[in-house]
Amino acid sequence: MKWLLITSALLYVASVRRPIFVAALGCSLAYLASRGLALGRLPLIGPQDTLAFFSGALGLMALPFVYSRQIAGVRWFSWGCGALAALFAALALPFPTINMPLPPILDTYWFELHVALAFFAYGLFGIAALLGVAFLRGGGRQALDLQYRAALVGYSFFSLSMVSGGIWGYYAWGTYWLWTAKELWTSILWMFYSLYLHLRLKGQAWDRGFAWLGIIGFFVTLFTYLGVSLLMRSSHSF
Amino acid sequence: MLKKLYSTFCSLNLGLWLMTGVMATLALGSFSRASSESGGLNEMPLLFWLQRAPLGYSWWLWLCVACIAVLFVNALVCSIDALRRKGRSIAPHLMHAGFLLIILAHLLSAYGGFKQQFQLPQGDSFGFPDGERVVVERITGQVGPMGMMSGYRADLRLKDGVHGVQPNRPLFHQGYGIYIKDVALSPVPVALFEVHREPGALTAFIGALLFTVGNLMLLAQRKGR
Repeated sequence: MKWLLITSALLYVASVRRPIFVAALGCSLAYLASRGLALGRLPLIGPQDTLAFFSGALGLMALPFVYSRQIAGVRWFSWGCGALAALFAALALPFPTINMPLPPILDTYWFELHVALAFFAYGLFGIAALLGVAFLRGGGRQALDLQYRAALVGYSFFSLSMVSGGIWGYYAWGTYWLWTAKELWTSILWMFYSLYLHLRLKGQAWDRGFAWLGIIGFFVTLFTYLGVSLLMRSSHSF
Repeated sequence: MLKKLYSTFCSLNLGLWLMTGVMATLALGSFSRASSESGGLNEMPLLFWLQRAPLGYSWWLWLCVACIAVLFVNALVCSIDALRRKGRSIAPHLMHAGFLLIILAHLLSAYGGFKQQFQLPQGDSFGFPDGERVVVERITGQVGPMGMMSGYRADLRLKDGVHGVQPNRPLFHQGYGIYIKDVALSPVPVALFEVHREPGALTAFIGALLFTVGNLMLLAQRKGR
């Protein structure tokens, strides 16, 4: 069923119009559903499945923003979201699929909830970064307001992901916290968006800084997800 | 003097700088050998590790703890200050309260946490501090199609009867959690157990609940704005 993932990547790249974006998202979700049915669980193990899941989560989270009237004036926004989702779908393609059953320690709903919520958050942080670019390129204050909403909802998902991860860790390993590179970067990411949300209290003089922070946040997200998993040894490594 | 101290700890700027400090120290620490699996940081309570580790190894964590300690006071004073004024939403302050409880939970675990591993064959036992013995009655496991263990379990006999432990299903007894980490079935059934005490777990859970309630309230308030 890899052709569904390839089709979604191609359609995402071509998503200059919203119906194409929806079709790309449909293919992406159909691919994830087919993987889930084959495995009997959410496809969340290994780089192939997680990158494909990230791409799908990004597309799904982007949908309300793509159809938002507030950003209708920014013509490239739908394509921007599509290009970002296409990038991660394309990155997933070279990796082999891992079809093994879940190791006993991962075989719990807390694990699936933890990872799925993290990817929804990552997707929203990506959308917030694009909205930051839209604001800096003259998209108006509405782009910045939408950026705040995307980041706030992403932060909420991410906080819930950390809570479910803590509960899972407590039942699986005996502790809700481990001092590993992944946990440290997860805390950095959470603290970064806490800082971002607090910065809004400083008023409109900080609008540009606020937009830039939303963009930088996505790079912190990518390092937390890909950088730490690929470059550093931790319980979350691929 | 007190007024000046109060307004310093009430400052948003101070909070922003402290958050930056926490992020910077954690980022530096993530590249340190201390946070690697061989660093020993996960093998003992944090405060014991901090007392024993050389400063050249642990300096980033001392700085991080210092930033978090001041951030704790900053968040507390800001919330108290905001709640004294009428008409303010309590949502951000519930989130602050959750954050404060989670920091407190880490402090409790950093002081009173405990972890010990035992590798025991079927029939062997280990003891609790009060002398009670835990006997490993039976170790079982299933090997999956790819040769890996797809599930395993141990039956443990305690004073009050036999209890099973499985991955993600520990046994809680006398304030300790007994976890089964791994099993080998041949030549004789052997299991790797870990006994944990995490005194901050309940406080962290209550903190997480408060934070989530505050977060949901904030989302509801921001909806449509």
